Amino acid sequence: MSKKMVCFCQDLTDADIVRAIKEGYDHLETLKRFTGAFMGPCQGKMCAANVVKLYAETTGHPVEDLRIPTMRPPVEPISLGSLAPEKGGDDDA
Amino acid sequence: MRRSYDVIIIGGGVQGLSLAYNLALRKAGKIAVFDKSYIGSGASGRNGEMIRSAFGSEEWIRFFDTSLRLWETLSEELDFNVMFTRCGYLVLAATNDELVTFRKLTRLQKALGLDTRLLSQEEVIEWIPAINPKMAAGGILQPGGGFARHDAVVWAYEKAARRMNVRIKPHTEVKDIVIDNNSVTGVMTTAGKISAGMVVNAAGGHARQIAAMAGIDLPTDVYRLEMLATEPLKPFLPWAVSSPHTLSYMHQTTRGEFVGGAEIEHLKPAKNLRSTGAAIQDMAGKFVRLFPGLGKVNLMRQWAGIVDMAPDASPILGPATGLESFVLDCGWVYGFVGAPAAGSLLADYIVSGEIPRNIRPFHINRFKEGKPIRDLSLVVPTKSTP
Repeated sequence: MSKKMVCFCQDLTDADIVRAIKEGYDHLETLKRFTGAFMGPCQGKMCAANVVKLYAETTGHPVEDLRIPTMRPPVEPISLGSLAPEKGGDDDA
Repeated sequence: MRRSYDVIIIGGGVQGLSLAYNLALRKAGKIAVFDKSYIGSGASGRNGEMIRSAFGSEEWIRFFDTSLRLWETLSEELDFNVMFTRCGYLVLAATNDELVTFRKLTRLQKALGLDTRLLSQEEVIEWIPAINPKMAAGGILQPGGGFARHDAVVWAYEKAARRMNVRIKPHTEVKDIVIDNNSVTGVMTTAGKISAGMVVNAAGGHARQIAAMAGIDLPTDVYRLEMLATEPLKPFLPWAVSSPHTLSYMHQTTRGEFVGGAEIEHLKPAKNLRSTGAAIQDMAGKFVRLFPGLGKVNLMRQWAGIVDMAPDASPILGPATGLESFVLDCGWVYGFVGAPAAGSLLADYIVSGEIPRNIRPFHINRFKEGKPIRDLSLVVPTKSTP
């Protein structure tokens, strides 16, 4: 298999994905957990289409039957400081 | 598919798989594990993955130290790297009052053979310069604790169990429990009826529903616990850390992400896995208070898991009352760290009929007998503690 990058956050190639499926991580959710695809800083925005297409080709599951792993909040990375309530903390008392 | 087993385990999470593996190791006959979704789909792949036995009650210490000893050699035993990082585990005291309580707990821990020690505020700050001194009065350090990769542990047990001919059936839901003459004799699944000499409820967040199928009303409620992961950072957190004062827990993964969770003080029962704004604000507020530098760090993801929790937040282990051949392995909140011991000790019970000493206090009858377990070092709110 050629060396094509499918996930830029975790440096995963097409061969990495196919090997993981053959090792038994053959559900999209377990494939995600094993390889780290969908879980890097892009949270799937760059890799999801690549990984899902390759998964469908490798396993023979039609793409339209697949449930893509849940997209987690936030939509874009946001600082913890901007989410923290301004006050309220016993250290400020 | 085979239609009859000696033991059927409901729930393909870390609990059910550890038990299946331990039963196979003891040659307990034909064993099957059913899960309604993929393996490790519940709380087993959503938890904080932290490991300690430095708890605050004799019951918890004895049980979880049995587990810690098994963790030490688990990768070798299962022939799969579970990535147990023994970096140490700190139970952080935020106030001097809390530190006084913790001093007593270290005495109890030492008396029970644990290697833990009390750290001063200066020592905590020396090791974690990023911590807010106002939130750190000291703490209990357990050098032999740490964290492991939660998914790897699930797969390690799954593969080891499969090698010993345990049948593992994902995407096969148990719809009912078959009872004959006050004794459980099998399960009704989406793949039909399957009989069993014994059935174990290891259904995690769904244990209450499974118990109800057998006519057992567990004294539990379902809670959603939420967590977050930040963008990867340079190493700054040398230990896994729990903060009972803020009901939060955290560690830094080998990839560098800061990963942690927190509970709001008055948790309300919930059923779905949706992430909430209330939880992210609570977590962000607590983590920025503990580590002011995290204020500038980006949140990467937020997720949730569900637990089916008893009023004392302690697990419910052992035979059910008033029904034969039905075993409870549920009520888990610290189920990840407890899985090696629970699987091993419950397998001992199933094979011998004798309940091992270290799980006896966790029997379901403790609620009727008015003997809930009281542990002062947990990071979930309990109804038995003020």
